[in-house]
Amino acid sequence: MIAVTLFGVFVVLMVAGVPIGVSLGLGGALAIALANADAPLLGLMAVPQNFHAGLAKYPLLALPMFVLVGSIFDRSGVAQRMVTFAVALVGRGPGMLPLVAILVAMVLGGISGSGPANAAAVGGVMIAAMARAGYPAPFSASVVGAAAATDILIPPSIAFIVYSVSVPGASVPALFAAGMFPGILAGLALIVPAVWLSRRNGFGKAERELPRPPLWASFRGAFWGLMAPVLILGGMRQGWFTPTEAAVVAVFYGLFVGMVIHRTIGWRDLFEILREAGEISAVIMMVLGLAGIFAYSVNTLGIADPLVKAVESSGLGSGGTLALLMVVLLIVGMFLDGVSIFLIFLPLMYPLMQTFKWDPVWFGVLLTMMVAIGQFTPPMAVNLLVACKLANVRIEETVRWVLWLVASFLVATIAVAVFPEIALWLPRYYGYL
Amino acid sequence: MPTLLTLAKLPMKTKRIPEDWIGVGAMAILCLITMANVLIRYFSDQSFAMTEEVSIFLMLLLTLAGASAAMRKDAHMRIEFFYETGSTARQRLLQLFSALVSAVFFFGLGLLFCRILFDEIKFAETSMGLGLPRWIYTMWVPLFCFVICARAVGLARRVSAKPVTEAQAE
Repeated sequence: MIAVTLFGVFVVLMVAGVPIGVSLGLGGALAIALANADAPLLGLMAVPQNFHAGLAKYPLLALPMFVLVGSIFDRSGVAQRMVTFAVALVGRGPGMLPLVAILVAMVLGGISGSGPANAAAVGGVMIAAMARAGYPAPFSASVVGAAAATDILIPPSIAFIVYSVSVPGASVPALFAAGMFPGILAGLALIVPAVWLSRRNGFGKAERELPRPPLWASFRGAFWGLMAPVLILGGMRQGWFTPTEAAVVAVFYGLFVGMVIHRTIGWRDLFEILREAGEISAVIMMVLGLAGIFAYSVNTLGIADPLVKAVESSGLGSGGTLALLMVVLLIVGMFLDGVSIFLIFLPLMYPLMQTFKWDPVWFGVLLTMMVAIGQFTPPMAVNLLVACKLANVRIEETVRWVLWLVASFLVATIAVAVFPEIALWLPRYYGYL
Repeated sequence: MPTLLTLAKLPMKTKRIPEDWIGVGAMAILCLITMANVLIRYFSDQSFAMTEEVSIFLMLLLTLAGASAAMRKDAHMRIEFFYETGSTARQRLLQLFSALVSAVFFFGLGLLFCRILFDEIKFAETSMGLGLPRWIYTMWVPLFCFVICARAVGLARRVSAKPVTEAQAE
């Protein structure tokens, strides 16, 4: 009965368009009040306590800092210079610009931690360039939207930070290391259909006539941007700084590159950059805090138990359950953003994870891959929407291209599900596991 | 349109509200404290871990201030599937519903936090790291809950003041 109230209120509010955090908080609070019907006020004191506990975690500080890194590098002009260098590197020809878009999105993934910021940075440069080379706009938008989805796998990643503060036994460094190879695999999985589709349809024929930028000069231009992932990932690896500190070092490095080297950021832009990053972080962290109320009621009211028992007795086994979860996440991912998916489903999935003895780091990577797919699967897809906005096309027009990329990304995800070592080898090698 | 997109790519040229300044200030101080931590540790092998408490407080402040600014713009994360489709009348209804539910929720959350605040003052609780009275940190939470509530009410008023006949491109 209480479980029905919790999920009933929550789902109705959420579908009606009430902010997800408010839906989670209100559903959780009502369930807590009902469960403590004899002393509702006393029971309800768990609401502010869990809201506060959901936010007052020091490792969470990495989240606003990496959002800020994304906002700064978005404006620093490094994306344009990386594209020029990549073109100089791979040359001109049909299918080369989509390849460049994906490669640059992956390198930027080593700086920023959120998909939409990446789509904005890459799309801002690539969509016009691809239009000049004769690629149809819906195709370009599909490639940029999908390429940006590798961002939340390639460290640093905001999704991994949220997962880490929500799941015991999965540290941020371990998750960051575990995301590296699956992220690269996903990028390769996108390159194959993107290049193949361009060649088959004769896109980018005009590209051959475009000039190839000089290699050395373009490398010097891209150098400062290329050093950023080295600084962030290398610094964390060397134990110079924690993830949060790495983010802050990247903030100052990004400001130095943007304000002194490329001169794309002025003093007046600082307020707007900080305001934007602060607000994006606040919106995410508000859901995180309010989801603490929801998670508390799911856990203490024993709502997950019958679900876990049902799954256990269904005879699906570990593999079958995992497959079922992935199908559910694929569908949910079309309508919900990644952070919300984590926060809504983790209280329910955590007991399953324990039942089947899934590795929390590997499971986090798999979950993030599913969320990444959701970021570019129509109709609701943050990355794709950003790319469509920049390309000035409707999301419906991208379907015939983007579904190839979704399918290919899904194959990479299944590979990580079947061979957990793709994710787990690197963190084990580094001794994070 | 999703929140992240709205915020990242369509910067609203609105007047700066106090919440913006608080958020910007909190972000800037967080960067400086963390950077100072790195430098001090690098040069002196010491860490001033007590700043953790201040950082967590600033993060909480940032969340509440940013959430308030986002409430004013109706930019919180939500499922837009029904919210941004259908007739203008339905959209208005859902916007109004969403704003009012949010207002009620944050008002209630604010009241519950007041109760926590009074307990902390009554039992003179102090913080773990710096030994400061806890209410110095806690008092901002109910305050901001009420500010968010007020922003939600303001949003609801603006939605209901919009003429129904306003043509909207589908």
